Amino acid sequence: MVMALQHGRFQPICLGLVSTPLPLIGPTSVSEPRSAYLHIPFCQRRCFYCDFAVVPLGDRADGAHSGSIEAYLKLLHAEIAGSPPGPPLSTVYVGGGTPSLLTPGQIGALLAALGDHFGLAPGAEISLEMDPASFDRDRLDQLLAIGVNRVSLGGQSFDDPVLERLGRRHRRADLLEAAAWLAAAWRQGQLRSWSLDLIQGLPEQTLDHWAGQLGQALALEAPHLSIYDLIVEPGTVFAWRQRRGQLPLPDPEMGADLMDFTSERLRGAGYGHYEISNYAQPGHVSRHNRVYWSGAGWWGFGMGATAAPFGERQARPRTRAAYGEWLNTRRQHQPEERGGAVSAPPFDELLLVGLRRREGVSMDRLAAEHGIGPAELGGLRQRLGPFLEGGLLLIEGSRWRLSDPAGLALSNAVLRELLDWWDGRPDPGASPAGPQRQDHGHRSTPG
Amino acid sequence: MTDVPVQRIRNFCIIAHIDHGKSTLADRLLQETGTVAARDMQAQFLDNMELERERGITIKLQAARMEYTAADGERYILNLIDTPGHVDFSYEVSRSLQACEGALLVVDASQGVEAQTLANVYLALENELEIIPVLNKIDLPGADPERIKEEIESIIGLDTSKAIDCSAKTGLGVPEILQAVVDRVPPPADRVDEPLRALIFDSYYDAYRGVIVYFRVISGSIARKDKVLLMASKTSYELDEVGVMAPDQRQVESLHAGEVGYLAASIKAVADARVGDTITLLANPADEPLPGYAEAKPMVFCGLFPTDADQYPDLREALDKLQLSDAALKYEPETSSAMGFGFRCGFLGLLHMEIVQERLEREYNLDLIVTAPSVIYQVNMIDGSTLMVDNPATLPDPQKRESIEEPYVKLEIYTPNIYNGTLMELCQERRGEFIDMKYITTDRVTLHYEMPLAEVVTDFFDQMKSRTKGYASMEYSLIGYRKNELVRLDVLINAEKADPLTTIVHRDKAYNVGKGLVEKLKELIPRQQFKIPIQASIGSRIIASESISAIRKDVLAKCYGGDISRKKKLLQKQAKGKKRMKAMGRVDVPQEAFMAVLKLNQ
Repeated sequence: MVMALQHGRFQPICLGLVSTPLPLIGPTSVSEPRSAYLHIPFCQRRCFYCDFAVVPLGDRADGAHSGSIEAYLKLLHAEIAGSPPGPPLSTVYVGGGTPSLLTPGQIGALLAALGDHFGLAPGAEISLEMDPASFDRDRLDQLLAIGVNRVSLGGQSFDDPVLERLGRRHRRADLLEAAAWLAAAWRQGQLRSWSLDLIQGLPEQTLDHWAGQLGQALALEAPHLSIYDLIVEPGTVFAWRQRRGQLPLPDPEMGADLMDFTSERLRGAGYGHYEISNYAQPGHVSRHNRVYWSGAGWWGFGMGATAAPFGERQARPRTRAAYGEWLNTRRQHQPEERGGAVSAPPFDELLLVGLRRREGVSMDRLAAEHGIGPAELGGLRQRLGPFLEGGLLLIEGSRWRLSDPAGLALSNAVLRELLDWWDGRPDPGASPAGPQRQDHGHRSTPG
Repeated sequence: MTDVPVQRIRNFCIIAHIDHGKSTLADRLLQETGTVAARDMQAQFLDNMELERERGITIKLQAARMEYTAADGERYILNLIDTPGHVDFSYEVSRSLQACEGALLVVDASQGVEAQTLANVYLALENELEIIPVLNKIDLPGADPERIKEEIESIIGLDTSKAIDCSAKTGLGVPEILQAVVDRVPPPADRVDEPLRALIFDSYYDAYRGVIVYFRVISGSIARKDKVLLMASKTSYELDEVGVMAPDQRQVESLHAGEVGYLAASIKAVADARVGDTITLLANPADEPLPGYAEAKPMVFCGLFPTDADQYPDLREALDKLQLSDAALKYEPETSSAMGFGFRCGFLGLLHMEIVQERLEREYNLDLIVTAPSVIYQVNMIDGSTLMVDNPATLPDPQKRESIEEPYVKLEIYTPNIYNGTLMELCQERRGEFIDMKYITTDRVTLHYEMPLAEVVTDFFDQMKSRTKGYASMEYSLIGYRKNELVRLDVLINAEKADPLTTIVHRDKAYNVGKGLVEKLKELIPRQQFKIPIQASIGSRIIASESISAIRKDVLAKCYGGDISRKKKLLQKQAKGKKRMKAMGRVDVPQEAFMAVLKLNQ
């Protein structure tokens, strides 16, 4: 598996209010969705670590001359137009794939469609994932002109041999050039924020090499950095290499050292480590992504996209044909018609996402809202005793959070215990929130 | 059916090494005599336990009655009594041989005689059985019947001039075998007029009818509604059914001397009708039981613990049920501070242990932790008493014991001579005492050793097979107890004593075993969030130590909208996997770790 990294994928946000406290999680505060994710599945090639719902079109592909892209955009427009109504959007995230393969006109039309259907709130964060070598300064200016105000640049590495082994199309020079354009646009106030993605824990990576990579990233002065630990996903070229013993990943100790180093280095450079893989300078946290970790709802459009406007996640099919068919059926039935109040995700999921954040969760409130009494909470605390003793889990008043970096780096161990505790409760369905969730088996891209 | 005169009955068995084609030949005989129509033939009819079929070996014997019209035009009754093919069950083999007058010695025409075959042939010769050599797989390209015949003559001393070439697969030679059984196997002695004595050679438990007993009538006769006495277990029953296996059970009115059949009498457990016991009539009992009865004694012991403590009552129930059909299985509750509640179980041998473990998991759906096998030690105490210890963790402290004795076996290995060196080295490592080596042909030898049973039960067989590419075979039998310098080797995981990993080893080997054990455990126990010291100690002295470093990274790098469901499922699945491990203190220990002592050489 590959890692989690997507080609460009992150976004900080800017909002001038630097020190707004982040809201605590809590289902009562769930309101109607004010965020939308649009999935653009097209890429020129599939990277060797990637298992997303993407459609590789070849190195010469571009949105202006592709029937596939045109046909897909028709579906996407239809889905937006057929969506239930909602309040104006305060965040929009166009992810992929490589959305920067689309022409500014095509992206502008999508944003206009969202604007027509929902409206765009004043100051809305409009993020676009862009790959180096897929745009130039001109095109960037056009994108800014149509309303894009945040860019997530899929850099991944500063080394040409590494980029080649990742199956990336761009090279170091492309990355530096693209970053320079973004930095300039940001300094000139044309772009509110931008982010750079890097992958850590790549084959044969040493601490020295990684320190060099981070140093180069810091030199670019991106206000937001997403640092993804490589995950080898089944079905990827990397998984195949791994099976054949041709993927010399750093050993677990080294992997942990890399994570620790990243956290310390970036925090030392003035970035807040606000989520397991995300770092931002003050005021540049991604507003859109924070939605996923807070338990709030969002709209999702496009093949493979997951939407959760009313608390229940629905994944769209991962192929174009199936997506088109799904859209047809849905047009007739309108299954996403709102059935009632917006519901919060269940307790365990709120913890699963909430504990990824620096600020963790407000446990007393969360427990109360899910009918978990003090005795039961005491039991959970006891069960998590070893993590508390080890300093991985911190309980500070009513706030539960994972320590940085040790606790965040071991979050799965804590989460397994939590999930197991939750699943073993006498009445696991005790979430007061409404309908049973359903998983459709499709996975969707993140948004 | 019972109108058959004794002179026209032939009782025989098949002696063969695993894979030499015993089951296939048995099937072929049933088919040739019309006992089973070809269309009803399930491959290998006699092996009807699922496990047996999977492993291609016979564990529990079975029997079949065939009718055959011989060259003289007369109708004969041929009873084929199957024998188990594994050393763990040699007592049962001896009883089924006692029920026969003849045996087919089936030898693979390219592979020749193997140790197990040899042991059973000697048993058959001791029982004065007529032996008919059969060379099987004659149709295969590698077949060399002349060489194999020579081998049989020189090793066993059997005349092979009338050996039969056969291919159980194609049916070649099968009619000749049937005719030879009629011509060469002597009829049973006609002792119909004497009081009833019938030998139990097998039994199994049927949930509806109670224990089904397979027997051979040696003298007198037995009929439905008879009241019988089992002379060893001293229990009596009124018979519900008497019948023959043709090969499905078919009821008859009565059976007389020379015949083979089954009975049902609402007997509650196979322990009440043990193999080797003698059936007689309650009203007119025989003076003496048939010779040779012995109760199966467990030789190998291990702890069985449910992974999930809640399954303890289920495990007890499953063992209770298994024992109904397996008289050799012994168990008693065992409590360990490290493992909680479980059972100490005794088995005939390693295969028997594996079979029971597998049946518990498969048929009763239990998740078990099985500890490494141990033997039973005799501990001579300073106060003059003796203690039998089948659980190393319960070995008394050194200051209380005067000496420890351990069981020894006579071990015979039969091998191509090119493996002599490696096998002698293995035997030496396992504290074997060399007795002699005999060339049986120019290129095959038997190695004869005396060796502690404890060394045999710890993967000796696997080691022997891997060192000889599978060509060597072995046989062993218990020869008594010997005093040795033995010590108790304890293992501490995270500073807590792990009872189930305690072993008893020879003092000279203790250091190496301790070192190997902690290294192996380091490999087998997954890293946890804290550092785990692993130590081996004799008494309070630590002789080896290792530590498992703490895991520091276990994280899902990315979790956005669509990832949430998937990541949650993944974590839930991992949490389940963790449950299959046994929590010892704060450390989760997987099943393989409890067998670590068997894997020191891997």
